[in-house]
Amino acid sequence: MVEYDSAKSSPAIIDEFVQLIRYRDLVFLMTGNILKNRYKRSMLGIFWMLLNPLLQTIVLTIAFGTMFKSSLSHYAIYLLSGLLVWNFITQTTQYAMGTMAYGGGLLKKIYVPRATYIVAAVGNGMVNFFISIFSLIIIIIFLDHPLGAAWFFIPISILILTIFTFGFSLLLSTASVFFTDTLDIYQVLIQALFFLTPIMYPLSILSPELSQFLAWNPFLILIEMFRTPIYANHLPDTSLIVNAVSLAFTTLLAGWIAFTSKADQLAYRL
Amino acid sequence: MNTTVIQLDNVTVRFRIPHEKIPTFQEYAIRWLKRRSISYTDFNALNNISFSIKQGETVGIIGANGAGKSTLLKVIARVIRPMQGRVFLKGRVAPLLELGAGFDYEMTGRENIFLNGAVLGFSRRDMANRLERIVEFAGIEEFMDAPIRTYSSGMVARLGFAIATDVQPDVLIIDEILSVGDTDFQKKSAARILHYHKNGSTILVVSHNPDSIRNLCSRAMWLAQGSIKMAGPVDVIMDQYSQDSMS
Ligand SMILES: Nc1ncnc2c1ncn2[C@@H]1O[C@H](COP(=O)(O)OP(=O)(O)OP(=O)(O)O)[C@@H](O)[C@H]1O
Ligand SMILES: [Mg+2]
Repeated sequence: MVEYDSAKSSPAIIDEFVQLIRYRDLVFLMTGNILKNRYKRSMLGIFWMLLNPLLQTIVLTIAFGTMFKSSLSHYAIYLLSGLLVWNFITQTTQYAMGTMAYGGGLLKKIYVPRATYIVAAVGNGMVNFFISIFSLIIIIIFLDHPLGAAWFFIPISILILTIFTFGFSLLLSTASVFFTDTLDIYQVLIQALFFLTPIMYPLSILSPELSQFLAWNPFLILIEMFRTPIYANHLPDTSLIVNAVSLAFTTLLAGWIAFTSKADQLAYRL
Repeated sequence: MNTTVIQLDNVTVRFRIPHEKIPTFQEYAIRWLKRRSISYTDFNALNNISFSIKQGETVGIIGANGAGKSTLLKVIARVIRPMQGRVFLKGRVAPLLELGAGFDYEMTGRENIFLNGAVLGFSRRDMANRLERIVEFAGIEEFMDAPIRTYSSGMVARLGFAIATDVQPDVLIIDEILSVGDTDFQKKSAARILHYHKNGSTILVVSHNPDSIRNLCSRAMWLAQGSIKMAGPVDVIMDQYSQDSMS
C-alpha cells in the first residue's frame, strides 16, 4: 500500500526522480500535447520549423558568406549547425521557464512531480531540434558537402547537448519561480551572448586574447562539439569532449539539486 | 479495520507575503544597493494542527472563508508540504479539490480523460480500460470528441468527478464540489461516494452546506483562523457552529 510521510520521505533528489518515473505517462502526454497544439492547427507548423532556419541561413550567407569565404568554405553549413544548437538551448530553456511560471498553476491544485514540466519542455525542444536538423540536411545535400566517418559522433553530441539543456532549464526555472524577471534578464543576456559566440563568424577572426576568454563560453564548447564532425568531418578534440561532458553533467547535477530542493516551495510561490 | 490512515502532528503551513511588489532581481538589486532588506508578513494558514482519522471514518471540515479548510486538504493531498510538523497518510488518495485540474480546454473530452488520468498518476493503459465506464458515468457520450472549452461548467465537473472517482480510493478528499452538476448528477455522485464509504474508503469533506455534512459525516472538525476550534461528533459540532454563526 502506498504511504506518504511528509517528514521522512527520501531525500528530494531521489524522490523526485522516483515520482517522475511513476508519472512517466504524464511526461509523454504533456510533451505530445505541446507538439500537438503547435502542429495540429496547420501542417504549416512543421514547414515553418524547416523554413525558418533555412531562410535565416540564406540571408546570413548572402550577407556574410563572402566575408568569410577564405576561412569558411561551406559557410552555410558552418552557420546552420551552430545556429541549430543555439536555438535548441535557448528556445528550450525559455520555454521551460515559461511553462513553470504560467502553466505551473496546476502545481497549486494537485500533486504532480514538479520536474514534469521541465522534462516535457526538453522533450518538445528535442523534437523541434530533430525537425530542424532536416533543414541542415537539405543544405548539406544542396552544397554536396562530404559525408564522413566522424558523423557517428553526432548522436553522442546530441545526447550531451540534451543533458546540458535539461540541467540549464532546471536551474533557470528554479530562479524564475523566485524572481519573476528572470526570463527578461535571460533574454537580454543571450542576445548579447549570441554575438560573443562564434556562430556567424569563425573563431579565428578574434584576437588571441579574446578567443582565450571565449573558450569559457559554455555555448561555444557545445557548438564546437556538434559542429566539428559535420562541418570539418573530424572528431572534436578529446579535451573539448571532456569539457563538454563535464559541463553537461555538472549543470545537470546543479540543476537537479537546486530544483528538487526548492520544489516544495514552488507550490507556495507560483 | 481500526488502523489510522491519516495522521497530522503539529502541522503548520505558513505563507510568506511580501509587503512590496512581486519579487524580481531588479527589486533585490535596488534593495541590496540601498542596504534595505525586503519585509514580509508571515501568515499561518494552518497553525499546529494535530488529529488522526481511522480507516472508514467520514469527517466533515467546516469553518468560515479563509479558515484554512482548503489548505488542510492540500496538505493531506501532498500538494503543499507543511513547513513544520508531519503528515502521514496510508493508501491511495483521490483528490477532489478542484475538478478538472489539469484539463486542457483545447483538447477533446477523450484526450482529457487520458491527460487527467495521468495527472492523477494512472497509466495510459489503465485509462484505456476505464474509458468507457468514465464516459458513461459522466453522461456525455455525444461530446467526447469535442474540445472541452465547448462544455458547460457542469459537464466539465461531471467529467472530472467521473475520472477521479472511477476506481475506489483508500482516501477520498472532497472540497466543496458536491454541489456541482444537476440534481441527477448530484444523486449519482452522492451514491458513488456512499458506496465507497460502505466498502471502507475514508472520506474527508469540506462543505458550507450543513446538511451534506450532517448526512455524510460521523465526525466534524471546526477550523477557525488556521486552528482547530472544536472537533467531535458531527451533531454536537454542527449545533455549536450554527449557534455561533447565528449570534
Ligand atoms: N498561495 C497562497 N499564498 C498566500 N496566502 C494563501 C495562499 N493560499 C491560501 N492562502 C491564505 O490562507 C488562508 C486559508 O485559505 P484556504 O483556501 O485554506 O481557506 P478556506 O477555509 O478553504 O476558505 P473558503 O471557505 O473560502 O474556501 C486564506 O487567508 C488565504 O488567503
Ligand atoms: Mg476553500
